[in-house]
Amino acid sequence: MSQPAGRTDDLVHLLDGNTFVVSDRRGDITPSPTIPTGLFSFDTRFLSKWLLTIDGQRLHVLSVDDLQFFETRFFLVSGEPTRYVDATLSVVRQRSIGGSFDERLTVFNHALEPAEFRLRVEIGSDFADLFEVKDVRQKVAQPTASVGDGYLRLSYQRENFLRETIASSTAPARVDEHGMTFDLRIEPHGSWITDLHVETLVTGARGRHIQASLKGHAVELKRRLNEQLGRWVAEAPQLACRWAALDQAYRRSLVDLAALRFRSLTYGEDIPAAGLPWFMTLFGRDSLLTCLQALPVKPELAPATLRMLAVTQASKLDDFREREPGKILHEVRYGESVAFEDQPHSPYYGAADTTPLFVVLLDEYERWSGDAELVRFLEAEARAALDWIDSYGDLLGTGYVWYRRRNLRTGLENQCWKDSWDAISYRDGRLPDFPRATCELQGYAYDAKVRGARLARLFWNDPAYADRLEAEAAQLRERFNRDFWVADGEYFALALDPDGGQVDALASNMGHLLWSGIVDPCRAGKVAGHLLGDRLFSGWGVRTLAEGEGRFNPVGYHVGTVWPFDNSFIAWGLRRYGFSEEAGRIAKAVIDAARYFDGRLPEAFAGYDRSLTKYPVRYPTACSPQAWSTGAPLLFLRTLLGLEPQGDRLVVDPALPDGVSQIELLDVPGRWGRTDASSRPT
Amino acid sequence: MADPVVEFFDGLERAESTVLPVRVNGTARFDLNQDGETDHWYVAIQEGAVSVSHEMRDADVVLNAERGFFERLVTGRANLFASLLRRDFTVEGNLQLLMPIERILPQPPGAHDPRAFAPGRNDRT
Repeated sequence: MSQPAGRTDDLVHLLDGNTFVVSDRRGDITPSPTIPTGLFSFDTRFLSKWLLTIDGQRLHVLSVDDLQFFETRFFLVSGEPTRYVDATLSVVRQRSIGGSFDERLTVFNHALEPAEFRLRVEIGSDFADLFEVKDVRQKVAQPTASVGDGYLRLSYQRENFLRETIASSTAPARVDEHGMTFDLRIEPHGSWITDLHVETLVTGARGRHIQASLKGHAVELKRRLNEQLGRWVAEAPQLACRWAALDQAYRRSLVDLAALRFRSLTYGEDIPAAGLPWFMTLFGRDSLLTCLQALPVKPELAPATLRMLAVTQASKLDDFREREPGKILHEVRYGESVAFEDQPHSPYYGAADTTPLFVVLLDEYERWSGDAELVRFLEAEARAALDWIDSYGDLLGTGYVWYRRRNLRTGLENQCWKDSWDAISYRDGRLPDFPRATCELQGYAYDAKVRGARLARLFWNDPAYADRLEAEAAQLRERFNRDFWVADGEYFALALDPDGGQVDALASNMGHLLWSGIVDPCRAGKVAGHLLGDRLFSGWGVRTLAEGEGRFNPVGYHVGTVWPFDNSFIAWGLRRYGFSEEAGRIAKAVIDAARYFDGRLPEAFAGYDRSLTKYPVRYPTACSPQAWSTGAPLLFLRTLLGLEPQGDRLVVDPALPDGVSQIELLDVPGRWGRTDASSRPT
Repeated sequence: MADPVVEFFDGLERAESTVLPVRVNGTARFDLNQDGETDHWYVAIQEGAVSVSHEMRDADVVLNAERGFFERLVTGRANLFASLLRRDFTVEGNLQLLMPIERILPQPPGAHDPRAFAPGRNDRT
């Protein structure tokens, strides 16, 4: 995804699907054009100001309790507490989201005297589109405020497009257009409480909240969120190991995956959103890869994602949205800029990898679950996806998947996972012309054909089609190993340019080729050597681009940083080709890095050498939690235990890294029911 | 000149399962407003087969739009989802049926096959 902006350190996040709140540690939201602070829902900022004062003074934070991903408690005092002067008023803000934004304010008077003071909540909204927060521009319409009986209504209307925030309080308040005021008197050792309630309205038919007019889109109630989270964690396999970093990362991942589940407006099942704060929406690539990572632990994410992506599979051409029949979507957004077609995410299809990966996930999910019904149900879509690879995907008719944007204004230049503008380069830093065929796309296409053949033979009753796909896969593999192999460096080129020339930078993309199985086995050793060599391996993981390449930058988004998700697929690939020790080294490095992030792997960290920094340096604007980083520990776990479905049973073939004595994953769900996977010989 | 709305609904009946996955089942009603009057188009989809009538019947999903806007929709000049977000039409009922409806709408006029662009031309600006 394209590069985010703004620092998000020292902020407090609450998250529930595509609604989230980002505030400072006092719980205050102050207007910021560059940092995504505020209350967001459906890609719109519904609160850009939410500020608590007592007698005009801001409060001071004592502590913050993150209770759950959807609930936080802030402990505050009035006045600066010092060793000599105790604060006499303290305030607890207990905040939660889930359908609405709620905050219980409790004020305690600790003094022997009654306290009289004025408490005020400043409330405002700029109704910024999430895209505007990143790239500020003048809004077409102006937000308005109106005072009702006990509530404040903030509105933004542009033509029929209407977004509203309605704030109310259970305790009587004086409401004005900028907030609410409470003139209070609290007895000695007494307290006062109010519940503040904020509704975010995306107005649909007949002025009602759009979600309220939809069947199958029940608004989640908070008490149910807690229950659901408990069940979600309890139903997952239990991990037993003496590796504290893995244990912590595993638990964190389960909770974060629950928080990132998201329900789209037009689809009734939960699917993983990509990441906080910029990507709380459906991304085809991120959702597919996250589902692949999570298969051993949360297989139920996969069918929901596959059905959602099947329903939205493109059926026609559209230049602005880069649609072609058979293509699987890249990104869905709901904000103003999408509504008025400044941005193409309605949905946007500018990705060349989602379509083959759709087939890959469908097959891999069946291998785990035995869900033949879904494979039959999605036959038409899977065939259309396979057709896309050789038709619209092969722009030059050379037997490779290429990309080249048609939306020159807002489309993505690079339509692969490394989608920043400078991600694909030659060794000397030059950028190739378009179209481009990056190497991992060819691996995915190969894998899709091989897996599609299995599905055709076993479930679609079409052996002729299976034969054809297998023959095509074999030809692709041969062609690929010839055209992409950089002879003088003995590695696979990052891409081909439109003349068929090798875009010869050394990059992590090669690792995905091992996962896809397109690499000629006699070359896998060289590839593994590069991946674990000094130029790519930082000690904390494999860098996106090798040190020494023209565009290498250890803090460049896709040109030198280490991405945990990328590493999880690389390790899986190494294991596939028998490089267990190398896979274990990568897994160990990245899981150990998670310790420095409380078990929550960020989107990316800097590609500095481990000996230089001693700890992994967080990439400044990295999203966290990020779905495929959240999924990384789960895939590492699979790789270390060597979990592989074979027929109706789960094969366990552990290969643990040095210093790790034992890992057990109990109650792994699959076509076998539930089974235990242990690194100990049974 | 032929009425694009009539053409669209006629085409629906003819297209049948070629554009819709066989498993799509459901009913949709399109209420089209023009000059203070509302025209009803009732579409039933059963196993990919489509039937169209002018009945004012309860449906799984009901779209209400100005006829002028609907003409743009059925000629590929308006996008269903962007229009929904803009509230150029309103919808009630089962939104999951919007995707199949989107599928039967035509593509934007002048849309290109990506292979039609001359190879090797640099589009960076």
